[in-house]
Amino acid sequence: MLLFDIVFNGNDTMYAEAVEAVNAAVAEYGEDMAVGFPETAYSLACFYAETGKKIETLRDAKEALTYIKSQMTRERRLDSGFKSGVATALSAELIEAMKYVGGKQPYEAPYLGHMTDAQIRELGVPLVTGDIPGIAVIINAAPTVEEACALVKSYQAQGNFVCLVGGIIEQLKEAGYKTGFNVRVFPIGENISSVAHAVSAACRTAMIFGNITPGDKAALQEYTFNRFRAFVNAFAPLDEKTVACGAGAIYYGFPVVTNDMDYTPSVPKSLIKQPKVEEFNATSLEARDIKIKITNVDIPVAFASAFEGEIIRRKDMRVEFDGSRVDCAELVQTCEPSEVEDHKITVIGPEVDDMPDGSKNSIVYLVKVAGKNMQSDFESVIERKFHNYINCIEGVYHTGQRDMQRIRISHDAFNAGFRIKHIGEVLYTQVKNEFDAVVDKCEVVIYTDPAECTRMRHEVAIPIFNKRDERLDNLTDESVDVYYSCILCQAFSPSHVCVVTPERLGLCGAVSWLDAKATNELDPAGPCQVITKERVIDENLGAYEDVDEAVQKYSQGALEHVTLYSIMQDPMTSCGCFECICGIEPFSNGVVIANREYAGMTPLGMTFSEMASMTGGGVQTPGFMGHGKHFIGSKKFMKAEGGIERIVWMPKELKDFVADRLNKTAKEMYGIENFTDMIGDETVAEDPETLVAFLTEKGHPALGLDPMM
Amino acid sequence: MPFNQKPHKFNAKINTVTIGSGDKTVAIGGNSTFPFYTFDAPTENTAKVGVEISDMGLEGVSEGIKAYYEGAATMAEIAKKAAAMEGAAFVALVLEGGDPNGENKSIDELIAVVKEVADAIDCPLVVEGCKNVEKDAELLPKVAEVLQGRNVLILSEKEENYKAIGAAAGLAYNQIVGAESAVDINLAKQLNVITTQLGVNAQKIVMNVGSACAGYGYEYVVSTMDRIKGAALSQNDNMLQMPIITPVASETWGVKEASASEADMPEWGPQDERGIDMEIMTAAADLAAGSDAVILRHPQSVATISKMIKALA
Amino acid sequence: MALNGIQIFKLTPKKNCKECGCPTCMAFSMKVAQGAMKIEQCPHMSDEALASLSEATAPPMKTIKIGTGDGEFTLGGETVLFRHEKTFVSKTRYAVALCTCMDDAAVDAKLAEIPKVDYERIGERMYAELVYVNCSEGADAAKYTALVEKAAGVGRTLVLGCADPEIAKAALAVCKDSKPVLNGANASNYEAMNAVATEAGVVLGVTGKDINELYDTVAALEKLGNKNLVIDVTGADVKKTFANAVQVRRAALKDQDRTFGYPSIVNLVKLAKGDVHMQAALASLFTMKYGSIIVMEQMTYAEALPLYGLRQNLFTDPQKPMKVEPGIYPLNGADENSLVVTTVDFALTYFVVSGELERSGVPLNLVINDAGGLSVLTSWAAGKFTGNSISKFIIENVEPKVKCRKLLIPGKVAVLKGDLEAKLPGWEIIVGPREAVQLVKFLKDMQA
Repeated sequence: MLLFDIVFNGNDTMYAEAVEAVNAAVAEYGEDMAVGFPETAYSLACFYAETGKKIETLRDAKEALTYIKSQMTRERRLDSGFKSGVATALSAELIEAMKYVGGKQPYEAPYLGHMTDAQIRELGVPLVTGDIPGIAVIINAAPTVEEACALVKSYQAQGNFVCLVGGIIEQLKEAGYKTGFNVRVFPIGENISSVAHAVSAACRTAMIFGNITPGDKAALQEYTFNRFRAFVNAFAPLDEKTVACGAGAIYYGFPVVTNDMDYTPSVPKSLIKQPKVEEFNATSLEARDIKIKITNVDIPVAFASAFEGEIIRRKDMRVEFDGSRVDCAELVQTCEPSEVEDHKITVIGPEVDDMPDGSKNSIVYLVKVAGKNMQSDFESVIERKFHNYINCIEGVYHTGQRDMQRIRISHDAFNAGFRIKHIGEVLYTQVKNEFDAVVDKCEVVIYTDPAECTRMRHEVAIPIFNKRDERLDNLTDESVDVYYSCILCQAFSPSHVCVVTPERLGLCGAVSWLDAKATNELDPAGPCQVITKERVIDENLGAYEDVDEAVQKYSQGALEHVTLYSIMQDPMTSCGCFECICGIEPFSNGVVIANREYAGMTPLGMTFSEMASMTGGGVQTPGFMGHGKHFIGSKKFMKAEGGIERIVWMPKELKDFVADRLNKTAKEMYGIENFTDMIGDETVAEDPETLVAFLTEKGHPALGLDPMM
Repeated sequence: MPFNQKPHKFNAKINTVTIGSGDKTVAIGGNSTFPFYTFDAPTENTAKVGVEISDMGLEGVSEGIKAYYEGAATMAEIAKKAAAMEGAAFVALVLEGGDPNGENKSIDELIAVVKEVADAIDCPLVVEGCKNVEKDAELLPKVAEVLQGRNVLILSEKEENYKAIGAAAGLAYNQIVGAESAVDINLAKQLNVITTQLGVNAQKIVMNVGSACAGYGYEYVVSTMDRIKGAALSQNDNMLQMPIITPVASETWGVKEASASEADMPEWGPQDERGIDMEIMTAAADLAAGSDAVILRHPQSVATISKMIKALA
Repeated sequence: MALNGIQIFKLTPKKNCKECGCPTCMAFSMKVAQGAMKIEQCPHMSDEALASLSEATAPPMKTIKIGTGDGEFTLGGETVLFRHEKTFVSKTRYAVALCTCMDDAAVDAKLAEIPKVDYERIGERMYAELVYVNCSEGADAAKYTALVEKAAGVGRTLVLGCADPEIAKAALAVCKDSKPVLNGANASNYEAMNAVATEAGVVLGVTGKDINELYDTVAALEKLGNKNLVIDVTGADVKKTFANAVQVRRAALKDQDRTFGYPSIVNLVKLAKGDVHMQAALASLFTMKYGSIIVMEQMTYAEALPLYGLRQNLFTDPQKPMKVEPGIYPLNGADENSLVVTTVDFALTYFVVSGELERSGVPLNLVINDAGGLSVLTSWAAGKFTGNSISKFIIENVEPKVKCRKLLIPGKVAVLKGDLEAKLPGWEIIVGPREAVQLVKFLKDMQA
């Protein structure tokens, strides 16, 4: 039999029972008799939410039957199947409502039946906050009492709310398992129709917490789909009514996991067959995208930022790992969800116990992550946090990164029980907590076996690092679709907005395009927002309507136009935390750059701080601009005015720092060798006249360029 | 050539938020000018003054305040006297005794105070938590629950606990959500964005954008409010158009200029007077910068500030 | 529109002669653009260039100087309506009012009261800088002059509130050398008042029944060649006064109407006579919104403590945070055996941290060294709050004076612990909480 037919049959059966129940009630009480559940202002909430109509009397109930019937179309199409699913739930709700007519109390402990509005409100708040990560609706008896208890306990331990329908309730009772609203295990009723009370909870949550207008079907479905994180676990054997209810659940976005292997086909993320009961929990959470909050790091020593500055000296050290001497690496790798087993931590090779006291060892930790929103660009962003994570462990010290990290574990930490696997525990917890927006699953593999470390470092890690560097090098302003704004500095500099592009990192030098992208992804309402670049005004200047609009918006109107590549026309503003500042030097036709560390005089007749005082505070000062050190070697550096060949002077220290990149760019762009030799510094000149003489002697190209003003 | 008087009009305005239920409500916000710029456009709602009372009763308050509440033995009586204060538009109950680092009163104990106060008065009510984010996340949803139907302003949700408090106050129990951020326009905006994303109606949010006592980093308060009002009006930024409420008393009465006794600082003169002026001057500055409502403690401050607001209307 | 540095540079002789005091013409141009120098300070500027530049670079609001010596104050010169747009430059000055209508005892009491408030706060002297001497109706020259002389005895710069040119002349005869302000020109007396003020070489205050009359009178005085003015914006009531204060400033700065480009006087005695609390409220309001001189009946500590704090905050440059002096600040009766706590010299951090430390009641030595006036994380990131800078200060300044060898550092710079341990042998480095509000509990737990 096709799944459609099972749903239709189940729906027909449930509907017939509803008709019978309503007719029986009418016969007993007459059509004017009031209908409703206790302590709710939402009448029969499923029907009310779906249709906008409140069922208040038995007459209304009869009319409702007509409506339900109208929804029971019988085409073998998804839409029809879903409608029948909803019609099954509405029928079930009527059946349940009839049980309460005349003020009867149909349910007795442990059965609880209807949930009150007060309970819904109490449930709704932690559901919104995520303190209740999900709602499990478990239907029918589990294969054994033990499995029933274990499954419920697994959900309960994660903070989920559990609703029970059918045989599992008797199983828990038999085992003496504590149930009730306050322990978040809610036995509803014996019959499948009682599942309507769970649906009612979803509908009322949508109306109370989602401001859903009763009768707005689409909004209701969207809400239950996106916000009401419920799912169904249904044990074999499933009867037709249960399957029909399942269709309703799927319509509302609640996946059904079952061990009944007879029904075909399974529907990915919606109807999932899972023969192993012990896997129900993991399968369900994954299907519903439920992430469990991890509250504490389970390691035998303390974990706090207070230990960040702790240094482990040689004499206090039990073992160390040193990437400069032996093969080490730390790596984040994006994988398919099926390749990652969440919270699995494996150590391949010896533990600390097997390493000689004070010895130097190899270590490679590979953090495998998977997630719908994960992008390989975030790998390095996550990796960069490892230093901080590992350093926060009491008695463990970490420096360096990539394949050059060094870790020391102290005697005290070792004696307290700290082992290599706990590094995995820390990485797992912190990555899951801090990057929960992109990481759904995380697994850590730690290699301490020297041969494996050598293999991992040279065959896995280094090729990946090289690929990443290559990507960074190839990442140009033209090769991306969007830029990012950064307003982290507005606390100091109210109207300043950084526009971060691949070739122009934030002027503080600390926020690259990838960082901004990750920040945006992790904190969508945060300081980094997407700026499109669709409406070009002038490519050479780097002027875009989109950029202007963004700058206007994020500066609250203080700035109107900003160009990305010019220091003369609407240059980008500066907050005050820039690493460097460049300023026009009119006598040589070029620009002078000074870095923050340089305290002396420049040929402009101004020191760094004097120049800074003119450009900080988000004010546009044509001819002057703050920027990061790395921007100096960029092909986009004042591209509109001719690019880096305008640079005529830099403090020596800065010149040495940027020499490699700058010379490479000069070679590529102009074919000039050793460009930095032509650039003056404080040992050559601190006034314009001497500088011009020096530039003339060296044949600096700026002298031959068009005047900048 | 005569003076060319140019009114500066904006095509945007601050949201009006009404606090309270029944006959006695108070509307804040609604204006389309900088504060008191009546020469640019008429004022929709004047700024409002609330009276702060604490679950700790009259413990530690200055002599002048004690004198005003003389004879009030219970929280209900204190609340009634507060509501009757000249110039008061609402009462703000601070549950400072809930602070885990202080008295650490239980939630049940505090809820009993909330009920006692709410039952004693029918004027609009603001309830402030204990400022501890974890405790407030538990406490304020309960406050919102027991005051269903009173349409109270719950102060405050912060970024750390916005879900619990925003969902309870703004969604489950239909109260007004007070969104508190730390003296920064972007933080204020971000909190409004995530609160509305939670489903809270933007028209039911009031901001506390952070406050300080005059002399204590107050420049940040001024610039934050100046910028928020500017962005709300000139940029029509609807995520910054929530009215601003500023709890003044809790900032000003703690600083040494206001709290040092005359015995310790004889040259400074009477402590009550110093406390009043600290409260008055900070409140006047808050109102000039952009607060749509201020919360004060001393009857003299309440009277003076409400008189000043009236004089400027 | 103001010109930028590049536009000004183009008009300079580009000789780098250094005669203006700047090393290059570029540096000079940038300073002119900022308003830090005047274009006339260049000796080689052509007349043509001067003419085109002086109008464009003239500030929208004049800077007016009053008083002499220690009592000299600069008013006006503002360029923005909101401090975050750049900065406010000339602090509001407060005047305590005397009046011929007061009896001698009241005058003496007031004069005795004025010097009592005189203290320092974060490097700034706080006191009532001015005395306003009002000549009420019916007072004659002799009575007024006597009062002025008496007032002058207190050593503060005077503002003479007098609308009678003859009386004003007599009063100025005894005090003009100290450069007081003569406040009293109006639509009917401005010519005579102008003559008196000009002759005495003092700033003239202009009053008017409404904003239009004020405008016309200022325009008339400018026509007579007097641009050494202040505008008394005090109107019939609080609302009109506020409207005047805002509109005068806004017209000058936003609408480029230079007729209103003068500092203001707000006389709270006229608006709220006898109500000291209302005067306190209004003093705050007009400090926020555009009062250059505010006249009040009294300036006791009750008014001064909040008002001067507010003013100090409001007039800080948003780019240059307030700094406290480096040193050892003993709190809660600390002695040489008390715990040492350190944080940065950023005034806001200092106030918040010292407030919490005081609240804890635990005796402590709060050590502040020069961290560039930045917050903890910012100064750490900028390399100004480091293991080196802290240990150097501790060794040079703290070790000779304090015996305790326990140092509490902010939780946000926990990373400095190891470095400090290495650089401060014998010291125990304790990592404190990340936020100041957690200090009370932290210290309490530490005691336990």
